[in-house]
Amino acid sequence: MTTFTSLNEACDAVTAFIRQCGDNPHADGFDELALGLFAIQFAHNAPFANFCRAENRTPETVADWRDIPPVPMRAFKPLDLTVLPEAKRETVFRSSGTTQTDRSRHFHNRETLAVYHASLGPWFAEHLAGESANRLLFLFPELSQAPESSLVHMMNAVAKGEHCFVADGEWRIDGNAAVDFLHDCATQNEPVTILGTAFSFVHLLDHLDADAIDFQLPTGSAAMETGGYKGRSREVPKAGLHQAIAAKFGMASGRIICEYGMCELSSQAYDGKLGQANAAPRLFRFPPWARARIVSPETFAEVELGQAGLLQVVDLANVGSALSLLTEDLAKRHADGFELLGRAEPAESRGCSLMNLTHD
Amino acid sequence: MTEPALDYFLADKPGAELTHSLIAEACQTLRRNRNECLATLGNEQIISKLAEVANLWRSPDYPLRKMALTADPAETGFPREVLAAGLDACFAEWTQKKFFMLLTQEFGDPTRLQSFASQPNRTFSMVNGPQLTAHIAPGNLPVPVFQSIAFGLLLRSAQFVKCASGKSLLPRLFGHSLHFVEPGMAAALEIAEWDGGNESLESALFAEADCVTVNGSDKTVESIRQRLPLAKRLAGHGHRVSFGYVEKQANEVMGTQTVISHAADDVVAWNQHGCLSPHVIYVEENGSLNPARFADMLAGELEARNETMPRGPISIREAAAISTARRFYKIRAANNAGAALWESEDSTDWTVVHEDEKQFQTSPLNRFIFVKPIEHIDEALHVLEPIREFVSTVGIAASEARMRDLALPLAEWGVPRICELGQMQRPPLGWRHDGRPPLGELIRWTDLETG
Repeated sequence: MTTFTSLNEACDAVTAFIRQCGDNPHADGFDELALGLFAIQFAHNAPFANFCRAENRTPETVADWRDIPPVPMRAFKPLDLTVLPEAKRETVFRSSGTTQTDRSRHFHNRETLAVYHASLGPWFAEHLAGESANRLLFLFPELSQAPESSLVHMMNAVAKGEHCFVADGEWRIDGNAAVDFLHDCATQNEPVTILGTAFSFVHLLDHLDADAIDFQLPTGSAAMETGGYKGRSREVPKAGLHQAIAAKFGMASGRIICEYGMCELSSQAYDGKLGQANAAPRLFRFPPWARARIVSPETFAEVELGQAGLLQVVDLANVGSALSLLTEDLAKRHADGFELLGRAEPAESRGCSLMNLTHD
Repeated sequence: MTEPALDYFLADKPGAELTHSLIAEACQTLRRNRNECLATLGNEQIISKLAEVANLWRSPDYPLRKMALTADPAETGFPREVLAAGLDACFAEWTQKKFFMLLTQEFGDPTRLQSFASQPNRTFSMVNGPQLTAHIAPGNLPVPVFQSIAFGLLLRSAQFVKCASGKSLLPRLFGHSLHFVEPGMAAALEIAEWDGGNESLESALFAEADCVTVNGSDKTVESIRQRLPLAKRLAGHGHRVSFGYVEKQANEVMGTQTVISHAADDVVAWNQHGCLSPHVIYVEENGSLNPARFADMLAGELEARNETMPRGPISIREAAAISTARRFYKIRAANNAGAALWESEDSTDWTVVHEDEKQFQTSPLNRFIFVKPIEHIDEALHVLEPIREFVSTVGIAASEARMRDLALPLAEWGVPRICELGQMQRPPLGWRHDGRPPLGELIRWTDLETG
């Protein structure tokens, strides 16, 4: 096992591994690093350590990264799941939510934030920036407008070349600015990639519908959609949203890539690459430094290929918090990725609007 | 008696293609059949037939009951033992005496359904049910559908029951038992299934029906309300939530084991599906049974119940909701963050969470219960304020005198049903769903003023 004497050392080791994976996606070292991170997180992240002790899984007893106890996503709300002492918590990523108490908090210092950036860049580039230097239209705020959003951090980090951010701090889209940017791309025949959350796409599509505007964007244009509505717009089923995006911007639906990420994670999964066929069903894949497991909600054992279960992610880039996380998403296990099946909540009996009152 | 062939209702014919005109025609046939037979029957005849149906369903050898109990739990929603207990609890209420009591409760004089009857103010009045009622059946429990059909028959209404796709088996079996006992009554009943929101089929149904009853999510009720012409009567019941309340001397009066056992009855009944099952049980502090001890004992009781009445398999989605919630409370428990958890081993069969936070919490159901300490009823009503308008039932463990004391503030606050803990999923035949008269909201009164 790799033993880290400091957090910085752990950050350096993970960053080095991420670089190594860039040259060789099958590079060895994941298992060692995972156990090393587990040890340092156990030593310095008290709420996590208490949990591990209660589960009888400590660095002394765990010899396989799969046995590191996964932290439930929701625990980032009431607990400070971090190895950082209070004075060192320079940046905080918060999930969306209406009050401070129902928002997850993921703390970073300069070094762990650098790992976040090291992780997000290459995997984004591999899936969305591989083939051409497109212009980028971000349906996101600038970093200064939403400094506690991990997604906004990420978007600002990947913003290169000619680009434009068209949302304000309340995530409201300036529809006219978006139209101007897209119009310019169309007239200059410059392919453009539009990046946004599902609700931002709904807002933009509504704006275009209201003004009866349709685009035929230049060949090579694309879209990156990341899930979630958070009550910010009406909810549109994914297939319908993608059809609407494809129709409104004049791009094939194969040019729409979905991103899966959250503030509690430091790596992201994508369900396709630009320039590839991306056969249905679309499968999400994390980078080599983050591994997805689909586990049975009854026993927590990994399910067989083709079976559904809860999505667990072991993300080495979560150096300063907890590397093994249990999401609340259901997924089907495939040999080469996973298919997202939606949130883990019973449909009928919790379908009551009231149910949103007390959960999340 | 061999297993009967089920081929009578639209839902019995899996290949049948439903169309707007087919639904409209079926409704017209129902009306005709109703006029020829059901409308001519007296209260005694209808009630005796309903009691006969109930007796059949309570008999272990009744073929239709056996079909229900041996069906795939995926189709009925419940494992054999849970379903059997639920059916028994329902049909035990269906006696002639109780049906007549229901009519008296609703109309004062049961003969009002057949002719004018006098009122205290010396006028006369009569009640008439809708000629055709459409029921939009809930997907979770079968009992509300059985009850809706029985009530429709009492009111001499032809009835079209719309079930969600794949959820019609139990209503059909019930319909077939009616057909067996009194074909004339079943001739005014149709059962079909389709996915809710089918505009073409539902517009035909809503155009034909005089009255629509809906049990479902608030969203479903709202959607139907918007599509229903103003003149049509709508009896809509959205999802509600319920909770238990253990008064601090309950264990001294009733015995600790009895209180625990009653709490387990309510958690196990219908595996907590349905609006009458508790999400949370509040236990008063400063009594001889402290809330954490209560939770511990309830866990032991649920483990024992799982032997005699297994929870059974549930969907991945339901299991995932339980296991993510469990893990959240485990990590909090490990950090002394005001929570403790008891759970079945290597399964999601049952879960008890003791949580200091007093706010109401919705359970992922399927035998997952929150136990929370509470100082007194006033504190409970204060923390429950956000769900005031959504509460259906409060199950109380207390002496009869204390129960009356507690009932008054609960009633004033807005709780429509208060019962003993252990009886939450066993409402009497005449219970007032959401505080409204069960037959009264479906009928029309005619007053005759003779001077």
